[in-house]
Order: sequence, then structure tokens, then C-alpha cells
Amino acid sequence: MWGEVPQLLVNGLVAGTVLAVPAIGFTAIYAVLRFPNFTVASHATIGAFAGYVVNVALGWPAWAAVAVAFLVAGAAGVVNDHLILRPLRPAGALTTAIGAVALTIVLENVVRFVFGNELRGYDLPLRRDWRWGDVRIGPQQVENLVIAVVAMAAVFLFLAFTRTGKAMRAVADDPTLASLKGIDADRVARLTNFGGMGLAGIGGMLLGLDTSIDPLTGFRVILSVFAAAVVGGLGSIPGAVVGALTIGIAEELSLLSLAPAYRTAVGFVAILLVLTLRPRGLLGERAY
Amino acid sequence: MSHHGRRLSRRALLRAAGSTLALAALPRLAAAQGGPIKLGTLTPLTGAGGSYGPSMRKAMEFVAQEVNAAGGVLGRPIQLVSEDDQTNPEAAVRAARKLTDVDKVAAIMGTWASAVTTAVAPLCWESKTFLTTVSGSDTITQLPHQGYLIRTQPNTNLQIGKLAEFLLSIKSRRVFVLAAQTPFALPSQKRLQELLPKGGSELVGAVIYDKDKTTFRSEIDQALRTKPDMIYLNGYTPDCTILMKELFKAGYTGAKVAQGYAVNQKLLDSMPAEVSDGTYTATPSPAVDSAGYKRLAAFLGSGDLDPYSCQCHDQISLVALAIAKAKGEATGTAIRDHVRRIAQGAGVKVDNAVEGLKLLAQGKEINFEGASGPCDFTDIGDILDCKIRFDQAQGAKFKFVKMI
Repeated sequence: MWGEVPQLLVNGLVAGTVLAVPAIGFTAIYAVLRFPNFTVASHATIGAFAGYVVNVALGWPAWAAVAVAFLVAGAAGVVNDHLILRPLRPAGALTTAIGAVALTIVLENVVRFVFGNELRGYDLPLRRDWRWGDVRIGPQQVENLVIAVVAMAAVFLFLAFTRTGKAMRAVADDPTLASLKGIDADRVARLTNFGGMGLAGIGGMLLGLDTSIDPLTGFRVILSVFAAAVVGGLGSIPGAVVGALTIGIAEELSLLSLAPAYRTAVGFVAILLVLTLRPRGLLGERAY
Repeated sequence: MSHHGRRLSRRALLRAAGSTLALAALPRLAAAQGGPIKLGTLTPLTGAGGSYGPSMRKAMEFVAQEVNAAGGVLGRPIQLVSEDDQTNPEAAVRAARKLTDVDKVAAIMGTWASAVTTAVAPLCWESKTFLTTVSGSDTITQLPHQGYLIRTQPNTNLQIGKLAEFLLSIKSRRVFVLAAQTPFALPSQKRLQELLPKGGSELVGAVIYDKDKTTFRSEIDQALRTKPDMIYLNGYTPDCTILMKELFKAGYTGAKVAQGYAVNQKLLDSMPAEVSDGTYTATPSPAVDSAGYKRLAAFLGSGDLDPYSCQCHDQISLVALAIAKAKGEATGTAIRDHVRRIAQGAGVKVDNAVEGLKLLAQGKEINFEGASGPCDFTDIGDILDCKIRFDQAQGAKFKFVKMI
């Protein structure tokens, strides 16, 4: 049994890194807009299908399709927030969160209406896994890891060194002070939505690159994304990364004693433990 | 102001309710005694079984057309009401509800996935609607259906028995089962567990997975750890597609076997030949030499019919003949009580409904033998025997191996 651990750790590392991308989007939106935006699920799906369309219909390579996934999901995020979630915000975080759940169901069904329910695969060559002893890893998994790391690095650099990034951190930290300084909260909100949902779109596509996509792609992962954000501390971007790696590795290690079908129980248990024992999460609530 | 004249008096309300109920009962009475015979088809037009649903429905439309052209069942035309079960139990229950409550059909025919049939069966026996299915899970005929259910597909017990015989004949020694969560997953596993050791082979492990996932990495790791020489993919087309690709990526070089409804030509066309090469498939074989099969093949325009369309052709024929035997009473109960009288026994052998109806009108006894097989049923609705055909995928085409 312990001989399985290296393979599980490798799987967990890859899964956790890919999970970190939508988790960062989710937690960033929470930091700035102060509500859990569950439409991350349907935007992951929208991103995955946008990438699918350019990859299969236009023949673009994977990295270009990922960029399209980011842009389309981000744009959709801005539009959806402006039309539907923004009017709900004055009513409070709970109402907006419930509205987000309803919206994600509608968006998922729009995708289903256009593309149907069947599984679709990206147009990529089937390559055999690389093996070292008992451990195997797929070339696509390695690529996903690289894309995820690049996306996260871009986010960190943006937040640390650009004017807009610093403005976002200011609004997340203290909206009143930020508006006193002349920072336009609406503009920051739009940018956060664009970036956050764009990251969700990348996440959705990365999930599907190795396997296949269908309208439920985002929904399947939303619990793990939420768990990752909660474990790391809602609103903390480094926390989202730590949380995602924790959840990813924990889900894989749970296979030592649980059947694969129960894997999502790990997400539930993690949320339960964190909210009971340390509600602030591992890194506390603080945008980077 | 007096509101006496305006409001509905209790007596008037009761009178109105009573006559509405009587009116609602009229269609069912009419259906039972005169007017067109309404029969429902509930096949997977979309979903995992979507490759078969449309042709299953066409096979039933074929029989209905032929019967209506020859004068109908005792003068009454068959009217088919078709719904899509989407290979999904929730959608199927909604569709079945509509068929039984709104259309008030005498029979529902053609449910395909075992999970769908298991969900729809209680609705049928409770509303006394006859259900004919092509699902295979043993658990289905073991339900308390009071006779309102028959199936033309060999049950899991029979199918896995023949599969075990095949695996032993090709000397598979270490068999691992990767099964989707379905009613037949556990019975199949248990039957293999029981039969393989008798031939010197072993079931080295089994995993039941949730078929709605897009990756099965961990399940495959579990399988490969047991070093099998044969993996039985007991799922449906979408999940088997993913499993076969992942087994290829993982470098698995052993043999694979799957059911023919899962690993079919559509699956072979969706992946490079090297991924599917060598996979064995098991398919219940229709009665290819029968006149019924040949006539259906001519209508559907294909030389090689899937077993489900053949079964649906037989199912609607059996229902029509049972109604005729019941002197035109088009209810589920009448079909239940008369179906075995025209399906088996010492009567004149017929292979199509039109001829059967003619002979019944002359007062003769008949024994319907269909395009899918002899159509002889046990008390709980299983068929007695069936031949299973084994093929192998070679260069993205199927080659016949043997018939058991």
C-alpha cells in the first residue's frame, strides 16, 4: 500500500496545481467583491468549450486555445456580473451568492443547449505516459502543470508590480479608504471579474485537456475549488494556492483507504474541519 | 351586497368535480374498448444509448405501419406515442409519467439502460401499464412487477455465464473488472467471481466507478497494480472511450473485453486504431436467419442489425398479438395475461404480427418467434436462452471470433 504513495503524490501535485488556477479566481473575487461567486463553475465550462471550439474547429494549438479560454471566460464573467450579479449586491452577500448558484445553472444549460451533453475531446495527439519505476506521469499533465504555474506567476506579478494590481489589493483591503484615494471601485470590480473568471476558464480547459469536456466540467470541480479557497483562507491568493495543493494531495492520498468514487468527500470534510477549527483558513484572510 | 348567487355552491362544485373525473376516465375506457390502440415507446434517443434509440423506434414504427396497413388489431389502428428517455433515469421517469398519465398507453416499450428500466418499472406496475425492455440486469426481473414486465434481452446471469466461458476459452488467467455504477455491476462481478475459478482463472480485482467523471486515472492505477492479463470494461460508450484511451496512455499491453453496446463501431471510429486494436466484444446475437430479421433489415436498410432494434420489433409484435388474443382489450393487465399464450407453446410458428393476427382471427393458436430469438419467457419475464457473439476489433473494424 505504501508503495502507491509516490504515484499518489505526483497525481496530487498535478491536480492541486491545476485546481489552484480557478481557486485563485474564486478567492480574488471574494476578496474584492465580498461574496462567494459560484459562477466560477460555469465559467470554467465556458472557457473549456471556447478553447475546444478554436482547437477543434480552427486547429489552434493548446497554448493558444488556453489564451482564448481565458479571454472568453473573462469577458463572459464581466457581462454576467454586470447584468445579473451587480444588481443583487446591495441585497447582501448571501443573496448574491444564491443568485450566483442560480446563474451558474443557467449558464451551464446554455452551454448544454449549444453543445449537447456528450463528452468531447480536444484535438491533441494521444501520447504514452512517461515512467520512472512505479510512477507514471502524462506529458499533457506536465504541460498543464507548466501552464498553471505560468498563470499563477502572472497573477502574482500583476498584483505586486502593476498600478491596477495594487489598486485591486487596496480595494480588497479597505474599500472605503481606497475610494478616498480616488480608486474607482467599479472599475476594479470589473477587472477582478475579468481576471477571476478568466482564470476559471483556464482551469476548466486544463481539466479537460488531459481527458474530455462536457457541460458538467465546471460543476464537478466547484466543490474542490471552494474547499481550496476556504482551507487557504477566503480572500487570500497565496492561501488559495496552498489550499489547492492541500486539497489536491489530500484527495489523492484518500485513495489509500477510500474508493475513488468517494473522493469529493475530502472536499466536504476539509471545509467542515477548517470552518470548525480555524475559520480564517491556513493563511488567514488577506489579499496578497 | 349578497354574494349568494355569485359563489359556487357546494353541490355545484361536487357535480362539476364528478363529471370531470368521469370525463377523465373516458379516454382510458375508450382506449380499452374502441378507438386507436395507444402504445408508448421510451427509447434512448440521446445519451449513452443514443446510437440505438432512433433505430429501435423505427423498428417499432415499422411493425405498427404493417399492422395498420393490414387493418389494425381487430379493426383498431395502433397509435405510437414516442418519448426520449435520454439514457437518464430522471428524464425517463418524467417521460413515463407523461405516457401513463397523459397518453394512457397500454404498454411502454424499449427502455434500454438498466438504471432507466429500474426507475420506470414501479410506475408501470402501479399504473398497470405493461413494460417491455431490452435491459439486462438480473435485478430487474427480480422486482415485484406482478407480471407487468418482460424482457427480450438475456439477463446478466446468462450474459456473464457466456462471457466467462469465452474468457476461459481464450485462456485469460487474471481478470480485472472496471465497472460503471449500474444495477448490473455487482451481479456481473459476483458471477465472474463464481465462474472463473472453475476454469483455473482468477478475478484479481474489481472497481465500480462513477461514470459521470472525465478521468479515471486512479481507477486505472488500481487495475494495473494487480497485473491483469484481461480487463473487462463493464460500462457504456462515453466512459469506455476514456478508459481505453487512458489504458493506452498508461502503457497497458494486456487484453480487453467489453459489451458490444459500449465498444461499438462509433467508439472505434472516434479513436486511433492502435488504441482499440485487440479489444473483444460480446453481443447477444439476433436470429439472423429468421424471416422476421430479414424483413426488418430490408426496411431499416442495413444488413447488420443491432440486437435492440430486433428486440423492439419483437416487443411491439408481442404486444399487438397479446391484445388481439385478449379479444381487443388494450390494457396492461390484458397484455400481461395473454402474452405468453402467443409467445410460446404448441401453436403455429409465426414470425410477424400481421400473419399472427390473421391466424388469431381464424381462432388458431400461435407461437411468435421473433427477429431477436424464439421469445419464450419465464414466469418472471426473462428469456430462456440466447446466443452471444464475440468479435474482436482489428484496424478499427470488427472481426467475428466465435458464437457461444
